[in-house]
Amino acid sequence: MKWISTLVARHGRNVQYGVIIVLSTLLIVAPAAVDQLVGPIVLNGLYYPFFKLRTAVELLRSQAEANQKLREELMEASLQLSFFDEAMKENERLRSALGFEPPSGYRLLAAEVVAVSGYMVPTTAIIDRGSGEGVFVNQPVVNEWGLIGRVSSTTPAFATVQLLTDPANRVAGRVGRSREMGILRYVVGRGMILDNFPVYGDIVIGDTIVSSGLGGVYPPGLPLGVVSEVKRGESAAFSQILVDPAVNFHRIEELFLLRVEEFR
Amino acid sequence: MNLIPYAIYLLLVAFHEVVFRDLTSIYGVTINVPILLVLGVALYKSERAAVWFGFLVGLVVAASRPDLTGWYGLVTAMVAGLAFHIRERLNVESLTSKMLIVFVGTLVYNVVTAMIEGLDGFGYHLYRLLLPGTLYTVVIAWIFFMFKEGRVTIQKIKAMF
Repeated sequence: MKWISTLVARHGRNVQYGVIIVLSTLLIVAPAAVDQLVGPIVLNGLYYPFFKLRTAVELLRSQAEANQKLREELMEASLQLSFFDEAMKENERLRSALGFEPPSGYRLLAAEVVAVSGYMVPTTAIIDRGSGEGVFVNQPVVNEWGLIGRVSSTTPAFATVQLLTDPANRVAGRVGRSREMGILRYVVGRGMILDNFPVYGDIVIGDTIVSSGLGGVYPPGLPLGVVSEVKRGESAAFSQILVDPAVNFHRIEELFLLRVEEFR
Repeated sequence: MNLIPYAIYLLLVAFHEVVFRDLTSIYGVTINVPILLVLGVALYKSERAAVWFGFLVGLVVAASRPDLTGWYGLVTAMVAGLAFHIRERLNVESLTSKMLIVFVGTLVYNVVTAMIEGLDGFGYHLYRLLLPGTLYTVVIAWIFFMFKEGRVTIQKIKAMF
């Protein structure tokens, strides 16, 4: 055995090359069974943990993608649901409006609100009908609950509606039960009031106020609101009457323009 | 000789073969991390370490082709020995000459292993995969050696911004 150690000491460099060449040659010429022994040892010892890692990462990634896809689908579905919900509500509103009968001698032109403006309460609304469809200034605007206002200006495709909540808009009103009259107007901070009503006039809480038809703008009999408070001062000439509007001006969407029916 | 770093390098080779290769692949062109590590050891460590590490890396790389285990071990060990001898005889110190050794070593390894595997359309593979792969490896080696030799440091990068 001494000759081996002498050989390694003198020719260490060449010996290691020789060993490597011999080992490699053995692996090259060895039967397949030997090759099949080395491969699995390396695969199981070194590769396998990384295979597991890679599989786990790929699984995580595919699950994250599936999760993202499901989130998008959920978002789409909830958006669709909210559209359906909106469509259902619109359907209900339109069904309710379908039963609305215009005052005698008038025809209805349906319109949709495209914009509203006003401070604290809406005072004007833009509708999707204009002079192109025969809309004209001072045309009365109603919905199934009552009078909304009048057209204040028009363009060929759109019209601006001055709502009853505009302090500059006044309507001649009448108590439905006693037929006594006053002027209905909106006061910022107080709400809708019936002005110029005699202090000893016949009015009680719960009376319905309708348009009187005087002035020539609004037809008579359109609901304006319900009396919610009556104050009679001893020394005052007029009562202070608060009215709950018949229309919720915060929720106007579909409207009708009233046009005098032409008889042939 | 401390064997722990070499064991870590072997794990790194396995990690690269299983995970990292596909992540860093550009149109099928991949970094040859195993030969890069072998050449790194040949350029900075002893001949014995380089040759035996090369042989073991060859066995690890050939795990998926058990019939070529011997060939891979032999070729990788010989490339490591060749690189070590060039470095020793020419007394290579400059980064450019090291890059040249990496380029030649990687190209020789890629070409010989491709021939051993008997790839059809060798010319196409040489042009499409082997040469680009060699250049890709050299670029990575260049970045690696720049850091290793202290030419680029985190402080210098921070100072640039």
